[in-house]
Parts: sequence; C-alpha cells; structure tokens
Amino acid sequence: MLLLTLSRTFKSGFQHFRRNGWLSFAVISIISLTLLIISTLIVLSIAANLVIRSVQDKVDISVYFKSDTEESKIMEFRSTVLQYKEVKSADYVSKNRALDEFKAKNADNPTIMQSIDAIGDNPLNASVNIKAVTPDQYDTIATAVQNSAYKDYINRINYAKNKIVIERLNNVLSTTRNVGAMLATLFSLIAVLITFNAIRITIYAHRQEIEIMRLVGASNPYIRMPFIFEGIIYGTISAVVVMLFLFPLIKFVAPYLSGAVSVQEVQANFMHNLWLIFLIQLFTGVALGTISSLIAIRRYLKV
Amino acid sequence: MIEFRNVKKIYTGGINTIALDEISFVIEKEEFVSLVGHSGAGKSTLLKLLYAEEKPTSGEIFFNGEDISNLTPKQLPFYRRRIGTVFQDFKLLPRKTLFENVAFALEVSDHSDKEINELVPQILEIVGLAHKLDSYPREISGGEQQRVAIARALVHRPPLIIADEPTGNLDPISSWGIIQLLLKINKLGTTILLATHNKDIVNRVKKRVITLDQGKIIRDHSKGRYAI
Repeated sequence: MLLLTLSRTFKSGFQHFRRNGWLSFAVISIISLTLLIISTLIVLSIAANLVIRSVQDKVDISVYFKSDTEESKIMEFRSTVLQYKEVKSADYVSKNRALDEFKAKNADNPTIMQSIDAIGDNPLNASVNIKAVTPDQYDTIATAVQNSAYKDYINRINYAKNKIVIERLNNVLSTTRNVGAMLATLFSLIAVLITFNAIRITIYAHRQEIEIMRLVGASNPYIRMPFIFEGIIYGTISAVVVMLFLFPLIKFVAPYLSGAVSVQEVQANFMHNLWLIFLIQLFTGVALGTISSLIAIRRYLKV
Repeated sequence: MIEFRNVKKIYTGGINTIALDEISFVIEKEEFVSLVGHSGAGKSTLLKLLYAEEKPTSGEIFFNGEDISNLTPKQLPFYRRRIGTVFQDFKLLPRKTLFENVAFALEVSDHSDKEINELVPQILEIVGLAHKLDSYPREISGGEQQRVAIARALVHRPPLIIADEPTGNLDPISSWGIIQLLLKINKLGTTILLATHNKDIVNRVKKRVITLDQGKIIRDHSKGRYAI
C-alpha cells in the first residue's frame, strides 16, 4: 500500500513538473542560480586556498650559524626547535649543501663561479630552515630562537627580511576569510529566500488542486508527497545544470591563478572534489526544494 | 442517515454573523432533499458543516449515527471518502484528463490500478462521457464538466452526495440534464442533498424541500415547492 502511494504521488509530482513547463523552468533557473552562487563560492575558496597554500609553502625563516659552530650543536638546536608546537618542519642545510645549492643556482654565471673558486674556502654558513604551522606563528618562533640557549651560536636570523611579506600574507589571509564568509552567507541567504518564494508561487498555483484533493478525501501526507517529489526533481535537475556550467567556469578561472599555482593543479583539485561538489549541490538543491515545499504547503493543509 | 441537532454556526470576525441558528432536522437513507433559500440564508454553511469544512459553534451533527462535528484532522479524509461533493464551479483539476480527474478520487483512497481502470470508464459511461476519457476539462462544455464532477463524486460509491448549486453556472437544458442524472443516482440508492436557487428545478423534481431563511428552517415539506 505504501509502495502504491509512493508510486502514485511520485507520478503526480512528475506530472506537475511536466505539465507546468514554464513554472518548472522558472523554478529550476532560480534554484540553479542559487546553487551556482554557492558553488562559485566553493570553487573560489578552493582556488584561494590553493594560492594561499602555495604562498605559505614559500615562506620560512632561516637561522644561520656562525662558521665555527659544530654540526652536533646545530642538530641539537634543530631537535629542540622541532619540539615547538608552532613548528611544522626544520631542515638542516650544511655548509657544503649550501655551497652546492648556491653553485647550482649560479651555474650559468661565470663571474660568481670564478670568485668562489678564488676564495677557495666555503664562505657560506650552515643554516636551519624553519616552517611554521600557520604564518602568524613566525614572530613567536623568531623570538623564541633569539632567546634560546643557542643564541650565541647564531650568526643571524633572516626573519626581519621576511617579516613584511609574512605580515602582509597574514592580513590577506584573514581578510579573504572574513569577506568570503560574509559574502557566502549573504548570497546563500538571498538565494534561499528567492527559492523559497518561487516554490511558494508554484504551490499557490496548485491551491485549487490541494482544495480538491482535500475534498475527495486525500490525507495530508498524500497531498504533500507530490510537492516534495516535485521539489526533489527541481533540486536534482538544478544540480546537474549547475555542474554543466561549472566546467567552463573552472576553465575560465584557472588561468588567472596560474601565477601562483598551475592551471593543471586547479583543475586537478576541482576534478578531485567533483563528486563532493556535485553531492553538496544535489543535497542543497533537494533540501531547498523539499523544505520550501513543506513550509509553503502547510497553510493549505490546515483544517 | 443525517441528523442535525440544535446546530448553531456563528462566524466570528469584525462582526459576529449568525449563519445557522438552532437548526434541527433528519434526512433518511435514499431521500432526495432540496435545500432552498436566498443567498446568505445559510445553505452553503449547512453543507460545509456536513462535509466537515467548518465546525459548528454548538450542537451536534450525525452521519450514520456517528458524531462528525468534531473530527480530528486524521479522521477527516476518511470521512470525506464516504461522501461525494459537487460544486457550482465544478472543481475539476484543469491539468488532468477526465479519466484522471475521476480516477483521482479512487487513487487517494488506495484503490488498485485494476479497480480504477474498470470503474472509471463505467462511471463516465453512466454520466454519458465515455467517449471523452482523454479530453481535458477546458475542451468540454460546462454541462459536461459538471457531469465529470458528478462522476468523480460517485465513483467510490458513497451513500451520500452533497450538491452545492450544481446548476448555478449552466443553461436550463444542461441544468435539467444534471438534475435528471442526480435523480437517476438517487433511484439507484444514493441519498442526495441538493442546495439550489433554481425554482423551476425544485418544482419539477417534486421531492422533499427544506427552506432556509436567515439561518433558520422556515419550511420543510415532503413534496415541496419552491416558495419564498
């Protein structure tokens, strides 16, 4: 019996959808726009995160040791630093490695190569490159290192040089997050309200039908079901429509990020999240359709 | 079959209106009763109380011995399936075919598809529309639309049909056709309660007439005439 009711109400919901072509079209456009706004915000936040992460990866502070510092002292320092909860990684760069890297970087500059050969000795200092868990922790780390037991071995910390970049990054990060969250909330709210009203209009168009259903003895759940199915159909189609729009959008957005991250990386990241984005849309679309229907229909079901 | 016991209905609002004032009457099984009166006399209110669209302010209403004046929202649909209703404006679903409109009344009460496919053409045959199963309401005349509405009211074989001004929107010939149909249904054993303005019809039917005026029953004759 339940199955019969389900199949009948589904059929009826599908009929509403099919026989009210223009209304369905209008509602789907509105839900699609809503989802498009929400998913654009998701895509932008994925992209922003990629950019931010790639910038974050490039930032670090380097602690240079005096030439006569023993390697074991530096390793000791490294393991101490690694115990700080703010520190993500600490790489030891020995004098020789520093020289090799320097040579590799300047391989095509004969003047520099010649002058290094002329010096004979390795003029570079050993260092430890420290990366923080979050960029706002560099200040704390730098201060801790400066005041540590190893301060006498330290030649210099290049934090000051990076300080401005790091602070600017911190500002950009928090602004992006705040503005993004505000915009996302605002747009989602507007979109949800518009969808709700659109569905109210479709149900208003069916008020006579609801009246008749009640007169011939349809139970309230029986009256509600077609509208819920209709809402589900709206949500599903909208989710599919938006996915079709998102592909070109990603293609359009990706090149603008190419300074910071590669186009392939953005696309790969999007493809990786494709199902997740689709599921979020499907869920949001269906929830929007169903909940709006349920609220809108309530007033017509009162005895 | 139907009993009204001291039924009073007051519409509250800006001004309290007494729509029905201490009404009491009994309608027996298989009767054909015409309910007449001016606009505002209380005909529609009386019918609304009977199909439980409104609740009485005081008094009791019985249908087959069961008090229906205080049905819960859960009981209401089951009660409605035991009566058939016909209205002046037909109340057909514009986007459903005639077949679907009639089938609808059976679908909501969980009849099987097999029963629906058998019963609906039969009933549309009785009202003379078997050849228009797949038409939409807008494609047929007012008289035909009212026949479909009657078919819908009749299809689940209710013991009572309530008709509120069923001929109000129809020309005299179609009107008489509808009344003849209701008489025929009545002969097959269904109780009919007909609210109408139409003097000619009441006089031609020659059945019981209850006359309402300002919320009160002023006349109740078993072979009545329209006389106000």
